[in-house]
Amino acid sequence: MRLLIILLTIFLLTSCCCNYDEKDFDFTATHNKLLHPYTKGDTLSNNLMIENYKRFIKEKAGLAAEEIETLTASLQSKTFHKGDFLLHAGEVCAYAFFVEKGLLRSFTTDETGKEHIIQFGPENWFVTDRSSAYFHEASDFSIEAIEETTVVLIDAAFISRAASVYPSFMLSNEKALQNHIRQLQKRINLLLSATAEKRYLDFIRLYPDLTLRVPQWMIASYLGITPESLSRVRKELAKNNFKPHS
Amino acid sequence: MRKNDDSVIFTSYLNAKVMKTRSIEVVVPPPAPHYVGDGFRVHNFIPSGYHLDMHRMTPFIMMDYNSKFVFPPSPQPKGVGVHPHRGFETVTLAYKGKVAHHDSAGNSGVIGEGDVQWMTAASGILHKEYHEEEFSKTGGEFQMVQLWVNLPSKDKMSKPKYQGLRHADIGKFELPDHAGVIEVIAGQYEQVKGAASTFSPVHLQNAKLNKGGKADFNFPSHYNTALLLIEGSIKVNGTEAVETDHFVLFENDGEAFTIEALETAVVLVLSGEPINEPIAAQGPFVMNTRQEIVEAIDDYNQGKFGYLD
Repeated sequence: MRLLIILLTIFLLTSCCCNYDEKDFDFTATHNKLLHPYTKGDTLSNNLMIENYKRFIKEKAGLAAEEIETLTASLQSKTFHKGDFLLHAGEVCAYAFFVEKGLLRSFTTDETGKEHIIQFGPENWFVTDRSSAYFHEASDFSIEAIEETTVVLIDAAFISRAASVYPSFMLSNEKALQNHIRQLQKRINLLLSATAEKRYLDFIRLYPDLTLRVPQWMIASYLGITPESLSRVRKELAKNNFKPHS
Repeated sequence: MRKNDDSVIFTSYLNAKVMKTRSIEVVVPPPAPHYVGDGFRVHNFIPSGYHLDMHRMTPFIMMDYNSKFVFPPSPQPKGVGVHPHRGFETVTLAYKGKVAHHDSAGNSGVIGEGDVQWMTAASGILHKEYHEEEFSKTGGEFQMVQLWVNLPSKDKMSKPKYQGLRHADIGKFELPDHAGVIEVIAGQYEQVKGAASTFSPVHLQNAKLNKGGKADFNFPSHYNTALLLIEGSIKVNGTEAVETDHFVLFENDGEAFTIEALETAVVLVLSGEPINEPIAAQGPFVMNTRQEIVEAIDDYNQGKFGYLD
């Protein structure tokens, strides 16, 4: 039953996933429109804090500098304090969040109040809830800033416009979507079949510096193991790899 | 022989002649505090303060100051959980309250008022720092400084080390005319040598001055030199009045400066020879190249720093 729930959760998973080598860019919606103007967060800056996003498009879609400037002129960024929610479960939100700086997590809370982390979003990752942003349904997930975080707000209209003007943007978007699905498949497989150690080793490959940025219980939650199991895995690794100075 | 003696006398005469007053570059008020873990409410001076970046302040690459703050009683000791360090030393000075320390090299200890903990992370260590249990239960005034001292490239991967310096073991120089006392944690003041061993020349001293007491200092002009006023108020070089919790950075334009206590004062004096090597810093790691940072993160993830509960 538990596996079934995990499986269903993953199938409904609506947040993107990418790593440093295989970054992801998977907004293919073409008919979405803004559901409501975004009002959360405390600062709103226009096109000032989106340098990483511009670099990201440049690398992925190979657009020229002036094309990127024109395309991103209307984009907005927002900064959230540690502990702020960008989205609460049950709300509808029209945006995907591209993390310029900082760290987000998306998670669900079960009937017992236990939190299950679906995704971490450090710099250059997208975090969103697809049922909300694409299908206009109430979100299953909450999204929280776990460090002070600046995000670029990306809506489907932007993706649609960019894809219609620049074929290379459309291609990069599709590639990113395929990559996203690949990563989800891997994660489903790990959650269903892998040992705690294998899950942890995959985690530190995918998110090398997060072990320094998030508490252990969050990592355990993401891996679907108990904090005690994570502690045991780390202890085993240290036993095998630690060589004190002679 | 005779000739040599003369030349020594002549050199010291020359030094005395050319000794120049070190002027003040900037006085930095305490920035807004933030919490490190839940047990340290700190003002960060180095590297985020105005003029106080790592390159300017080398070998001092970080200074967090927990100004006097009353922590309420807590059954669970507050503090910072297990975290790694590589490439430098952490120096914790306790002025009020007590801190307990445990590390993956098996060292542990409690430091209280006047004690100093000098931990050389070097090639890598895990540690945690908490309010000492009894202090935590009763709560009370808490005041600490944590300083990171960089290591020269050749020592960054050396063996981790721990020096717990009790107040009683720290050398003290009694100033004339009941002006006060200089506690020499590292380096030297007059003939008194510091209790801590260091990898590059570092002077770290607590000047505890009575009202009206004066102390003279001199360090080579190229040493980066600063003061933190822990308690009281002082006048520097006879002109600049400095308030409690303010940080004073000196120019590198002279050797000598004086401190006069306008009221009973405690001044942390720091001066160190710059380590002029590239700095690559990320979170708890300070190395020379980006590649070494990536290796540090990798080694930490792989358990190569050891394990600490």
